[in-house]
Amino acid sequence: MTSVADTAPFRLRLSALPAALTLLILVTPFVGLLLSTHWRHFAFTQGDGAAVGVSLGYSLLSLVPIVGLGTPLAWWLARHRMRGQWLIDALLLVALLTPPLAMGLLLATMYGPYGAAGHVLERAGLLLTNSAPAFVLAQFYAALPYYVMAARTAFEGVPRELEQIALTLGYSPWRSFIHVSLPLARLGLAAAVALAWVRALGEFGAVLIIAYYPQGIPVKLWVNLQNVGLDAVYPLLWVFFLVALPLPLVLGMAVRRRLS
Amino acid sequence: MQIDYRIEYPVSLHARFEVEGFTVLLGASGEGKTLLLKAIAGLISARGEPFNHLPPQQRAVGYLPQGHALFPHLRAWENVAFTLRGPDRRAMAIQWLERVGLAELAERWPASLSGGQQQRVALARALARRPSLLLLDEPTSALDPVTRDEVLAELIAEVHQAAIPALAVSHDPALAAVADRLVVMHARRIVQIGTPDQVYAQPASGAVARLLGLRNVQRGRVIGTPGAQQLWWPEAGVAVPVRTALADGATVDWHIPPSAVALSESASQGAIAAQFDLRQTNVHGSYLGMRCGQARLWMQLPPGRELPPAPWLSLQPDAIRCWPTEGEA
Repeated sequence: MTSVADTAPFRLRLSALPAALTLLILVTPFVGLLLSTHWRHFAFTQGDGAAVGVSLGYSLLSLVPIVGLGTPLAWWLARHRMRGQWLIDALLLVALLTPPLAMGLLLATMYGPYGAAGHVLERAGLLLTNSAPAFVLAQFYAALPYYVMAARTAFEGVPRELEQIALTLGYSPWRSFIHVSLPLARLGLAAAVALAWVRALGEFGAVLIIAYYPQGIPVKLWVNLQNVGLDAVYPLLWVFFLVALPLPLVLGMAVRRRLS
Repeated sequence: MQIDYRIEYPVSLHARFEVEGFTVLLGASGEGKTLLLKAIAGLISARGEPFNHLPPQQRAVGYLPQGHALFPHLRAWENVAFTLRGPDRRAMAIQWLERVGLAELAERWPASLSGGQQQRVALARALARRPSLLLLDEPTSALDPVTRDEVLAELIAEVHQAAIPALAVSHDPALAAVADRLVVMHARRIVQIGTPDQVYAQPASGAVARLLGLRNVQRGRVIGTPGAQQLWWPEAGVAVPVRTALADGATVDWHIPPSAVALSESASQGAIAAQFDLRQTNVHGSYLGMRCGQARLWMQLPPGRELPPAPWLSLQPDAIRCWPTEGEA
């Protein structure tokens, strides 16, 4: 007869197999990049540097409206329950789930030269096609739902009682938000910002439609692939990973550690 | 300070009483005691005096919720200094911590403090606000049973020293026993007010007696007219002699102190067949839990007296106190 103690490690090994296989499949493309890069002839294509500058600069700029507008919405969603709440949740999910290319087409429809908003804004001197503002707009729409979702979860993790205690200690709701809610949600909020940033940085579909120019990293990768070939994308791809991933990785793991 | 508050939602509740010194509002869980404190602090919608219609930040209350709610991202002194302003706020916070005997723990994070220490930091934080009323929600609930009495005594001494009226809500009879003034709530109404001595000596109802933690509070019915009355105890299936002024057929809560439950020599009239259930020994003495039908009766055995294998119990008629239950929720 086999004892429980004997079968337990066996079961563990058995259940670890599909997990290991999945991880292996997950890591395969990255190994591919490592093996395919010509390290001896590692060279950038013309315009790669400018693309890095465009991506970094405008993605950081897009964070301003994302955080500025997304934080109050996230806090409001975390702290209020109302009739028709499902509608707001559904709206956020629709924005989150809309494929980037479709989002680009929607943006072109609304903010393009023939769009309702685009027409008005263009007369006011704000061109939202193939311009820096169009680039930021595409990034804003791509990343805002992710930021709101993550920030809402961060605020929901702040015990409401602590905000109330701050009120009883003479703090206004605004000061309570600044001195209690924000510091207690800071890790989750930082992770939300990092997530939004990496989403904005990597946005291709929406950017391609309304802001082919100025070219950021994703569109430049596409252009390099079309004009030169696969070898021309690796250096820029490496830059993308090195720039975009460390911050979200560290914050994501810190949140994970706190949750466990 | 006179408290008069009316809450409509989520439960309907009206409470009116005087807070003097350390006042305890005693009531079972679910009575809405926490809601009342939150209403006074302005954290839920309610009408009443004092502080009517003021936003919470303008109400001069020190609110200590269950679990103390220290800010986990601030050190002990920073928690106390939360309400203080100016360049001296650290020194002032340390002074408040000194008052509650915790100055040496000023740099500690809340998570590294014991339940009692957290409570004292929360008290220092509330006092630093210079409130005109302290509100304490179940102040004994998060305390270690071994040190509870000591921590409680310290807390009450602090409250007395601060000379601020304090209202503590609790279901803990131990807290009620050390109050300056006791307010008892049952079925969302204030049913008795007095000093603990007065309330313990004359509980207004069986519900109050139960809240005070008295043993042997049972349900029954008075049978017969005054002078020749018996108390029918349905759970034990017996009727015992009793002396009351209640009318025949009155449904009652009744109580008998464990010291008035005696061993009976034989199965005489009014004796109750019992079985030994358990023994409970604490600093106040030793109690025997005796199974009587569906109910349990606690008794104290005189020293040196042995419990027979099939004991019969008798209840002193004069020691039985009856409260009519008609009209009680």
